[in-house]
Order: sequence, then C-alpha cells, then structure tokens
Amino acid sequence: MLEKARSHKVKKVIERMGKKLNRQVVGSLVACVHCGMCTESCHYVLANPDDPTFAPAYKADQIRKIFKRHFDWTGRIFPWWVKAQDLYVDEELEKLKDIVFGKCTNCRRCSINCPMGVDFATLNRMARGLLVSVGVMPEGVAVVSKDQWEIGNQMGVLKEDYLETLEWLSDELENEMGDSAARIPIDKMDANVVYAINPREVKYDPRTISDAAKVFYLAGENWTIASEGWDMTNFGLFSGDDELGGTVVRRLFEKVVELRGRKLVLSECGHGYRATRCEGPNWAGMDAPFEIESSVLTMLRYIKEGRIKVDRNKNDLPVTFHDSCNNARSCGFFEEPRELLNLVVTDFREMYPNRAENYCCSGGGGAMSMSEYTPLRLKAAKVKADQLQATEAKTVVTTCHNCVDALTDLIRHYKLGMKVTQLVNLVSNAVVVEEKVVAPVEVLILRGYKILVVDDEPDILTFLSAVFEDQGATVVQASDGEQALDLARQEKPDLITLDLSMPGKNGAYVFEELRKKPELAATRVCIITGKPELRRLIYDRPVRPPEGYLDKPINEESLLVNVRKVLEVAHEERKLN
Amino acid sequence: MSGTLRFVADDLQIMALTFMGIVYILRIRWLLRFKPGRERQAPTGSPDTSSFKGIIYSWGNIAMPWAMESTRQKLFFYAQFVLFHLAVAASITMSFIIPYAPGLIKPMVLVRGLQGLFAAGCLIGCYRLYRRLTNPYIRQISTPDDIFSLLLLIAWLFVSLGAAPNRPDQGEGPLLIYFIMTAFFLVYVPFSKISHYLYYPFTRYYFGKSMGYRGVYPIKRGPQPTPHKV
Repeated sequence: MLEKARSHKVKKVIERMGKKLNRQVVGSLVACVHCGMCTESCHYVLANPDDPTFAPAYKADQIRKIFKRHFDWTGRIFPWWVKAQDLYVDEELEKLKDIVFGKCTNCRRCSINCPMGVDFATLNRMARGLLVSVGVMPEGVAVVSKDQWEIGNQMGVLKEDYLETLEWLSDELENEMGDSAARIPIDKMDANVVYAINPREVKYDPRTISDAAKVFYLAGENWTIASEGWDMTNFGLFSGDDELGGTVVRRLFEKVVELRGRKLVLSECGHGYRATRCEGPNWAGMDAPFEIESSVLTMLRYIKEGRIKVDRNKNDLPVTFHDSCNNARSCGFFEEPRELLNLVVTDFREMYPNRAENYCCSGGGGAMSMSEYTPLRLKAAKVKADQLQATEAKTVVTTCHNCVDALTDLIRHYKLGMKVTQLVNLVSNAVVVEEKVVAPVEVLILRGYKILVVDDEPDILTFLSAVFEDQGATVVQASDGEQALDLARQEKPDLITLDLSMPGKNGAYVFEELRKKPELAATRVCIITGKPELRRLIYDRPVRPPEGYLDKPINEESLLVNVRKVLEVAHEERKLN
Repeated sequence: MSGTLRFVADDLQIMALTFMGIVYILRIRWLLRFKPGRERQAPTGSPDTSSFKGIIYSWGNIAMPWAMESTRQKLFFYAQFVLFHLAVAASITMSFIIPYAPGLIKPMVLVRGLQGLFAAGCLIGCYRLYRRLTNPYIRQISTPDDIFSLLLLIAWLFVSLGAAPNRPDQGEGPLLIYFIMTAFFLVYVPFSKISHYLYYPFTRYYFGKSMGYRGVYPIKRGPQPTPHKV
C-alpha cells in the first residue's frame, strides 16, 4: 500500500515536536483524563457556551493527538482507540493555527484548575512555536516577530525616532520640574538602575515614560535608559519561538552588562516581566548577572524608604485592579501592585476573582496583534467586562501594556465608560513635588475644544486621546465609521481626526457623509492614515477637502501643530463671520 | 475453594501484576528519557513560598477541594470523585485480601460497608458514563478508551459487590468473575487512561515545583465581593 504523502511543513512540524518534548510537556500530554474540570475556567468557553471546541481539553487534544500518533505507544499501535491522528497537509496546520492562536490566549487559567496538573498553556505555546517554525502563523505575529528580529523592538520603532521621543520628553520634564538636571539619561555608565521599556510607550503612550522619569528624578535615582537593547517585551513568549525569545533577552542583558548597570528595572508589562524575569534566562541559556525587578517594586520601595512622598487624595476616583495573567498566574506578582495602589489611591475596589484566579483581559498571548480573531476576542471579553462592571469603579489599573490595550478595547466595545491606567501614571500624579521646584504655568493649547477621534486601532485611539487630553481638549472616541457618524451628530465636535482604512463604513465614506450633511458640513476634519495611497479617495470626492492630512506613524509634535492650526483657522473664520 | 478459583485468585493475579509492573517500569523509563526543563530564573512572588512548598501543595491538591475553583464550585462532583476512587481502591485492596488475608473482611458490617461503597462507586460510574455521553464538552473529547475504561470500572465494581462476602461455599461464580476481571483490569490498565495515577506524581511535581518557585502556589485568593457588587 502506498504511504499517504506528507507535506514538507507537516514533516518538519512532526520532526520538531520530537525535539521540543521535555518531561514536563510529555507529562502534560499523557496525563489528561478528559474529566472536563478545566472547561469552565476558560473565558472563551464562558462566552461561547454552545461550542465545545473552545474547551481547553479539546484544544489541547488537537496537539495531543499528533503526539499520540507519533510518540506514544498506544497511539502508534491503536490510533483510533485513543483518537490519535496523523497530519498530512498544510490545511491541517492552518486549522491548528486557528485553534492555538485564535482560541486561546495562553492565560494559564485552565492549567491551575486542572486536577492532574496538565499545563495546557505550555502545550499551546509549544504548538505555536512549531507552527511558527514552518511559517504558519497569523499575519500580525509574523510582522511583529520580524520587527523584533530585524529592528530590535516589536513595534519597529527606529532608533532616531526613539531618541527624538526621549529628547522631547526630557525637555518637557525639565520644563515641568524647572531643573535642567531633570532629564532622561541615555546610556549612562554605572547607573544603579537601567530602565527597560515597552516600545508601545514610545509609539503610543510616551506619558508613561515621562511619568517614570519624573519618579526616578524625584527619588534621586542614579538611572539610565539604553539607546539600544531597551525593549523589554518579547514576542517569543507569544509566538512560542524560543530562539527569538532567547535573542531578545540576550540583547537586553548584554546591554545592561555593557553599561555596567546594577539592576534592570522593567516598566509595567506583564509578558515583558515574565519573559525577561522568568522565561528569558531559560530561553537564552544564561543567568542574569544582575538583579531584575518590576518598576512597581521600585516605586513601592521609593515610597517606603521616603525617597518620594505621595498624596493619595490626588487619585480619588474609585479604581479597581486587573491582574495581568503573566504577572499573577505565572510569576506570583500580585501583592506588590496592590500595596502600591493602596498608597496612591483613596478608593480601591477588588474585582473578583482576582490574583492568580483572575480572568484574562482577553488580549493575552499576542491576541491584540491578530486582527483576524478580533470578533472572537471581543466576544470572549464579556467575562472580563462583567467583572469590571461589578466593581462599579471608574478606572481600571493594570501593570501591563497589553492589558491596557485589550481593556480599552473591551471597555469601548461593551460601553463600560471606564478609563484604563497604569500604576506609574497614578504614582506620578500622586507624587508630592517639593516646593522649591516651581513648575511653569501650563499652557493647554486645546483647552475648550471637543475632538472626535476615529480609528479602529485601539493603540492609535489611546495615543491620540492622551495627546489631546493632555492639552486640555475633551475627547470622544469612535472605533468605526458608523459610530463616528452617530457621535458627530450627537457631540458636535470642533474637530474630527479620521482614519481612512476601517472595517464597515470606511473613512472616505464617513468623510463624504460628514460633508454632505448640512449640520455637520462645517466640522473640521483631519485625516490621519497609514495608507497614503488612499489620499486620492478623499481628494477626488466632489466635496470640500479636509482641513488637515497626516500620515501615520504620527509624531506628537506635528500632530499638535496641525490640529492647533486647523482649529485656529476655524476660530478666525468664525470671528470673521 | 476449587483449583480454578485458587489459580485465578493467586497465580493469575501475580502474572497480571507482574505484567503490569513490567509495563509500568518501561513506561516510567520512557518518561524519564525526556529531560526535565530547567528553571534559571531567580525566584519570584512571595518569599514565603518555595519549590518544596509548591510540590507539597500540588500533590496535596487532590485532597483540597477549596484549592481550585474547578473543584470549589463543584463540590458534589468532587464528592463523587472521592467516592468513586475510594471504591476502586477498596476493590483493588480486596483482590489482595481475599486470597492472602480473608479474615480481615470477615465481619458482616465490613462486608456491607464494602458493598455499599462498591454500589456507590458503580452508580457514580454510571452517572459519569451518562455525563460523558451527553455533555457536549465531554463527549467531544472522549475517546473509545475513555468510555471502555469507565465501562470496565463500572462492571468491575458491580462484580466486586458480589465478591465482597467471599463465600466460595455458596458458589464460586462471583469470585471467579471478579478475579478474572481483576486480572484483565491489571493487564489493560497500563495501556489505558486508568494509568493516570502513574503520571499524577510527575505532572503535579513539576507544575508544583515551578508554581512554588514562582510564588503562585499555594494559591492565594482575594476577598469575596460584597453582595451588592456581585
């Protein structure tokens, strides 16, 4: 009988599976008794009660059946008896991809609920790694991994942009503190603290860098940030690519050694903390020759040692805390954030369940980069939305950038009306600045203006909103065209920043609609797009062109200059009329 | 006691046990051939925890229904689990007592107690089989081995009911069936999901070691919400 042909990719997956097996993984592969106790621990199951293919045991079985067919005796001899199954074609790998990337965030909640101690998340990560090794992965995973391999950080931030951002953040800090020494030290040798950050901070949330810099400055810390090897995130954790994981960690460790830093402090990032502090040394095959800690611990120590003083009355809105799965469930890091939170806010409300039993934000495991699974992710986020709502808090605090994005997205989707923030923002806000430091009078250039921000990317929405709000504007957000038109009618904004490429009603359609409606036609519109080729779509339309046009990636400075100009012109026109 | 019964209660059991032992040794050797993953990181989490505490906690998990949400929220299911496994353990013990120390289960109260346990185990097994066939989540993941193993245990516990009085003088049938089934059970177990107890110490050891080192085990739970916030 002719043996059924196996594709090259499938051959490689099976071959590499054999090399990836260690005792812990094999234990988890053979020990499942199919008792189903893990089922209800998964947020995907809770949100999809009629679909048994979301059950953790089912998902793990899709990996287990390959193992059984090729590495376990019963499955090799009587495959049908234990549902062992062989793989032959690439389509089967694609199906497996949708399960391990699209139906699981590797949050590990099922693992801690398994009576047998089966670590489902480890199996899932292994399967991801096998698929990635043959190029079967969601597009977002490929793009982010490529950026981290080639550019050195997972958001493809170029060195000059990074340094430029640090430069203007330094200028702002110096201005705020009224002290020329209040700057972000780059590549300083022999510092006590080498601070590593998430590239999202540079690209979309630079306020977290300046807040951390402010805390370090006020604590009198001898600190620095590296010009290269500064990315503490690690997409290897999500993609299952140990080689990438090890390379990223090595890059970071070698830079600290080169700078002769005494301690590596990691900004608030759940997966970054786990990857760098816990898994990284295993992937890189090297021990960290210095101490590594989360900035949460650093800030807590500053307060305890009296190096900074905080006034928690400055954060008086009710807040709740979301435990990042990577921090809490994989690193036992859950008490310190609470201790710090209680020092800087007046009304902390615990959500339930919490700590190691908390539910995933729904954006874990790199889910935020896999747009093809967004509807599934948002549906599964219902569990977290209910958890948040039950607290009746106005703000949710988390120690993870990934969670910030996922929570922001689900809060908007489920219309919870909450804000998401991080501990560093709260500490920076609560910190008491000595009187000798005279802050210059702040000029809020957008005070009194209402801006509607329209974009389907949560990161961009957060970034634009933060920039405008920092300048005193009232911001309304819309993540699709339909919502944008509704909000434009209801809120009557002074300006709309409009993305062009969006699902459903795209930006070009929304723009034309805005111009055609007499009550909205006068609204100022600034197009912000990552696709310059769509420019014609706007300018070819038989309506008045937009008042502003910006290409992504957006620079905060040019954004503010443009927006301010558009609004000033509008103001002048109104005066003339 | 007839020669046939003596053979199935003693020689056959020894042969089956030997076979099971050999297969288990091979199985453990196979498992140990895989290298354990190494943890290079410095410990994280609470300084009160350690790998050792994690391992102990992990092993003891089975006796702590409050430790996991999955058992905490399903205490009835957990009670079934305990009874079912106690019944199986009792039947295994009985297969040694009858041929080697029959006096130990002479008192009628003990016989009735055992029969009660086997009956409960048998009923729970039936319920578990029903659940496995009707619950879409469990049905989806069930293999022929899962179903056959459960059927085998149900039948074996049922047969144990008849064997518990240990009265060959009143007919050797129940004892013969019981010992033949026990021998089959011993031979089949290493190839089936029933051998999960062999893996339990391994999986829970490594998981507990890692979770303890990382300060996750013992699990610490936060306060329950106040009723108005639920």
